[in-house]
Amino acid sequence: MIRIQLTINGQQFEREVSEHKTLLHFLREDVGLTGTKEGCGAGECGACTIIMNGRSVNSCLVLAAEADGAVIETIEGVAVDGELSKLQQSFHDHHAVQCGFCTPGMIMSATDLLRRNPHPSREEIQHGIEGNFCRCTGYEQIIEAVAAVAATAAVAATKDGGDRA
Amino acid sequence: MGATVLETIPASELKHVGKKTDRIDSKVKVTGQATYVSDMIVPGMLYARVKTSPHARARIVKIDTSKAEALTGVRAIVTGDELDYRLGLYVVDKAILAKGEVRHYGEAVAAVAADTLEIAQRAIELIDVEYEELEPVLHPMEALKEDAPLVHPKLGDYSYMEAAFTPKPGTNIANHTRLRKGDTEKAFEECEWVIERQYTNPSVQHVPMETHVAIVQWGHGDEITIWSSAQSPFTVRNLFCVAFGLSHQQVRVIVPYVGGGFGGKAGIGIEPLVAVLSRKAGGRPVKLTATREEEFSLLPCRSQLTYNIKTGVSKDGKIQAQELTMYWDAGAYADYAVNVTRASGYSAGGPYDIPNAKVDAYTIYTNKPYGTAYRGFGHVEFFWGLERHMDLIANAIGMEPFEFRLRNALRPGSTTLTGEKITAHTGNITACLKRAAEGIGYGTLSDAEGAREKRTGMKVGKAVVALHKAPAMPPFTATTVILKMNEDGTVVANLSLVDYGQGTYTSIQQIVAERLGFPADRIKVAWDSDTDRDPYDWQTVASKGLLLSGNAAILAAEDLLANAYDVASQALRANKVDLAHDADRIYVRHHPDSFVTFRQLAIGYAFPNGNAIGGPLVGVGRYIAQGLTHLNKETGQGLPAIDWTYGAHGLTVEVDQETGEYNVLKVVSVFDVGKVINPDEVRGQAIGGMLQGLGTAVCEGYIYDQKGHLLNPSFTDNKIPTALDLPLEVEAIAIETPQIDGPYGARGVGEHSMIGVAAALGNAIQRASGAELTHMPIRYEDVWRAIQKREPVDNWITKSPFGSCRSAPEIQKHDC
Amino acid sequence: MLHQFSYAAPTTMDALLSLLSEHGERAAVFSGGTDLLVGVRAGIARPSIVVDLKKIPELSELSFDEAEGLSIGACATVNDLVDHPAVGKHYSILAVAGAELATYQLRNRATVVGNIVTASPCGDMSSPLLCLGATVELRSVRGERTLALREFITGVKKTQIAPDEVVSRIIVPVDRIDAVGGYKKLKRIKGHDLGVVAVAMIRSGQTLRTAISSAAPTPVLLPDFPVDASVEAIQAKAQESISPIDDVRCTKEYRRFMVDVFIDRLLQEIRS
Ligand SMILES: Cc1cc2nc3c(=O)[nH]c(=O)nc-3n(C[C@@H](O)[C@@H](O)[C@H](O)COP(=O)(O)OP(=O)(O)OC[C@H]3O[C@@H](n4cnc5c(N)ncnc54)[C@H](O)[C@@H]3O)c2cc1C
Ligand code: FES
Ligand code: FES
Repeated sequence: MIRIQLTINGQQFEREVSEHKTLLHFLREDVGLTGTKEGCGAGECGACTIIMNGRSVNSCLVLAAEADGAVIETIEGVAVDGELSKLQQSFHDHHAVQCGFCTPGMIMSATDLLRRNPHPSREEIQHGIEGNFCRCTGYEQIIEAVAAVAATAAVAATKDGGDRA
Repeated sequence: MGATVLETIPASELKHVGKKTDRIDSKVKVTGQATYVSDMIVPGMLYARVKTSPHARARIVKIDTSKAEALTGVRAIVTGDELDYRLGLYVVDKAILAKGEVRHYGEAVAAVAADTLEIAQRAIELIDVEYEELEPVLHPMEALKEDAPLVHPKLGDYSYMEAAFTPKPGTNIANHTRLRKGDTEKAFEECEWVIERQYTNPSVQHVPMETHVAIVQWGHGDEITIWSSAQSPFTVRNLFCVAFGLSHQQVRVIVPYVGGGFGGKAGIGIEPLVAVLSRKAGGRPVKLTATREEEFSLLPCRSQLTYNIKTGVSKDGKIQAQELTMYWDAGAYADYAVNVTRASGYSAGGPYDIPNAKVDAYTIYTNKPYGTAYRGFGHVEFFWGLERHMDLIANAIGMEPFEFRLRNALRPGSTTLTGEKITAHTGNITACLKRAAEGIGYGTLSDAEGAREKRTGMKVGKAVVALHKAPAMPPFTATTVILKMNEDGTVVANLSLVDYGQGTYTSIQQIVAERLGFPADRIKVAWDSDTDRDPYDWQTVASKGLLLSGNAAILAAEDLLANAYDVASQALRANKVDLAHDADRIYVRHHPDSFVTFRQLAIGYAFPNGNAIGGPLVGVGRYIAQGLTHLNKETGQGLPAIDWTYGAHGLTVEVDQETGEYNVLKVVSVFDVGKVINPDEVRGQAIGGMLQGLGTAVCEGYIYDQKGHLLNPSFTDNKIPTALDLPLEVEAIAIETPQIDGPYGARGVGEHSMIGVAAALGNAIQRASGAELTHMPIRYEDVWRAIQKREPVDNWITKSPFGSCRSAPEIQKHDC
Repeated sequence: MLHQFSYAAPTTMDALLSLLSEHGERAAVFSGGTDLLVGVRAGIARPSIVVDLKKIPELSELSFDEAEGLSIGACATVNDLVDHPAVGKHYSILAVAGAELATYQLRNRATVVGNIVTASPCGDMSSPLLCLGATVELRSVRGERTLALREFITGVKKTQIAPDEVVSRIIVPVDRIDAVGGYKKLKRIKGHDLGVVAVAMIRSGQTLRTAISSAAPTPVLLPDFPVDASVEAIQAKAQESISPIDDVRCTKEYRRFMVDVFIDRLLQEIRS
């Protein structure tokens, strides 16, 4: 066991964790944040995507031990004070959700994409979520949902110069 | 108020049905708050792992569990020998754990429940299994040979559903479906052309993003609770009870949010295994989550198909006769494969008018992971061959393929293979074909496409294919919806049809809101299906959910209103016929100020003096399929289809003539859905299924070595489409020829989008490059081989050339 | 992970090297973990201790100077490489090939050095780095040595690395900063996939340099050709130097064919 301290969705955590435990399992089992999903455990599917120190990563291939001192964002932290982020709202509006199992990872990847690139082209959106398998939707409505945020963010950005994707 | 399903309401008066509506489950999903079985922890829960077979076929000589038992934290170990139960949907042929013999790579031979997953895994590694390897039978055609080893020597002892299936004891044939219409022999003789070819496709995996997972507690007094990621809670319960000889009272199945199913979770899966672990662990709940690798071989896949099509065409381009022979490779157990065989047997000719037909469809046991239901239920597989064949014939007889399809399309007055008469409201296949053709600009290259060809050096090809499917279900398939009014006049709908992503619950909300005349947000469709609390539904399969449950929802709404009117008429001292209602009140038509609110009626109406009448308002809607029959086992004649959904895909591809690489530029999918209940959900089903169909067409498929080991049981070598694999442009179009007995005219469309995509791709590639393909998936190398007229190779390991992209079509020309 | 191991995150090079010297084969160096943890999960790697490099600041360095060239520290991720201005400017083939590796999220973790040490025949970084003449710097308590990448990879997942050694960085020399070229990778789908076969080619000064992945146990670097060499000559050399196999991804026949196609197309691009 190893002692780690980290920030998850703005809250401080200090835990003992098995050294061989992945960050994905730590979040789901030890912290109880089950919004982040496991679809393969091998880096292929993206269901486990979270944002670690500002970068989207596959949490199934991160050890909890190395997250000592890290700042972690998961799907549970995306809506603030009960208000959906623009992207979450857009997923809702565009029917970009079917079974919903890929959705948390998809939203984390797309959130990271929009932070890096607030106005991605269709192709850039496809590249940004290439690592997130969705077996249900065929991606089209997801791409539209992300594109819609990019479009409104463009308008908002000219007004107040910045936005929460 | 009489209950009426069939009442038609002009579209202009509809407030909810057909309108853009919020999906009711997306907010809980975008916030990560939806709980799936994979997320659940039950107090006292143990974790299970499974020991699986490394061999395709072997005798189990000995299983030594002593080392595993000695491990601290191991709470239960089970092996096949101690279990005397057999499972099966239609043919009862499967043990919970292999007994005596393993029949496929990845089959479960032992299982452990332990305090942690790590301990369970270590215990699994410590179990020694001694096998005596036996020669496996891997190819369905080999399995049919007389001296082939038998996968199930005791087939004759198994019970099976006799009304529908015909196993052949002493062979590897789990079922033979026969259909005879007219006289094919005679018709062939009179035909100008007789064209025959064989088409093949491998097994594929459903790939729900949530793998199979179940938690089972075998409680005191054999009271059992099952939480499962499953499509059909009542089928899980029923088959479970049959296998264990339990009363339905003793078993409760709960299904919360489900992370996709696509047919792979349609029947019963790992639940019985987890249950026996729980029983052995003294009733502690046990959870088993399949790994992604286990999803490929411990759990079932889609069957492999070898499809032989022989078609006779008269001089005028009319199909006169078809001899259709299907060899379905069930793998080691019959599961749904026998019913896939039956359902594709009776629809094997496609949406075409075929006066003479002979269908023989076989379900064949082999030593491979077993097949089950998968979106399309056989149709994705056989439409690959059928719609490739339509192009082959058209080319051979010198007729434009699109014209050839129109010429032969079913129309009012035609009869299907089973003798069902097509009417004007069955649906319009011709309209589907025409819209698809229009959508891709079939027959010409646009300026942009022409310019693209110049720029890329690639060749553009276009194709349009037709498709159809009816729900494959027993003639007596039934469902129920119960509506309960809350104290505040809001309504909860209970049903056990599962919404595992397809959006049916949102449509049910719309239908109930429409029929009650309430705002949609006053209707809640309750999640978490529960066999103890929710009313019966057969299974969430077959694209029958909306049709049956939608009708039940209408009837439930009518019933709730009827009950409310009863009470209101007493409360208002008015005739029921003089009453009307709006969203809030029931009132006397000619004295609108005389009213009671639904709130006042919700739990029973109380007069000012305290006397009360009525009671809590509920509405019950029951619906059972109407007018269907079993099929005659000799001739296949009868009425199997509650509805037929027709569709068509138009597809544009560009092919690199040198390398065989290709890009799908556009797909236009058209379905005659009868009535669109929710436009966004129809679109989601259309595009989602289309891309799944492209996955099957482009890259998915099981690859075995000569000994039957599965070589690609993960995403590393079993690719599925990503966001980058979406065609450049996709379009979904709905045509609305109302289904007379469908809710507001609707019929199912959940599976259809996946059907025919592969053939559309194959045909378009052939138009662009000349590559003749008879095997899917269509990998770039396959296209290259076909263009180069090289030996086709389906499996690059075993070098087996199942499909024959090389052989010239056998064209017989008769003198007339 | 079902296999258990302990975890160490040294913060200095010295501490790292003594840990590796102490544990030898039982230790696994852990950088991005995208190969290591996949291997542990599959039961292929069973280390008893995992030694994380990421807390050693100097290993994260990714820098360019006109004298030495590009220095890619052990912990520099593929995305670090792709996004680095000097890479885009002087070694664009690395950015092109890097962007072909896995997915954006994986590239946030996967390191260039890890890709090389894994020594998979289908690794996307090896062929371009071979073309650019990269060298590998190895450190251990016994000292430091530098090997040409060409010599470093010796077989399928085999390298010259000793159990107590760590690759501290990869150095890409300056002598080819004028290189123009490209990287072509055959995949089974449009989305992320391992390379079924791939070719990297650059023109630098008066020479053409070609390397081929997934066509032999190791990536294959062809001898230099003059810029005006015929495509047939390069193809012939390539065919003679590779030894592709049939596997679940494709046949050797198609691999050989695609190598020729890629060489032809890359050459046309370079010459146009
Ligand atoms: C889903 C998926 C898709 C992928 N797709 C591709 C692809 O398209 N193309 C491709 O090329 N690769 C692909 N990969 C593999 C790729 O991610 C790795 O090769 C990556 O570059 C390895 O870097 P890492 O930092 O993650 O290595 P790690 O996993 O940390 O290490 C890899 C190996 O090298 C050793 N090692 C690492 N660093 C050092 C060091 N400095 N000194 C000594 N030993 C060291 C480790 O002990 C381990 O054995 C994929 C992987 C996954 C999971
Ligand atoms: S679970 Fe991490 S990528 Fe699939
Ligand atoms: S919504 Fe089901 S996997 Fe994406």
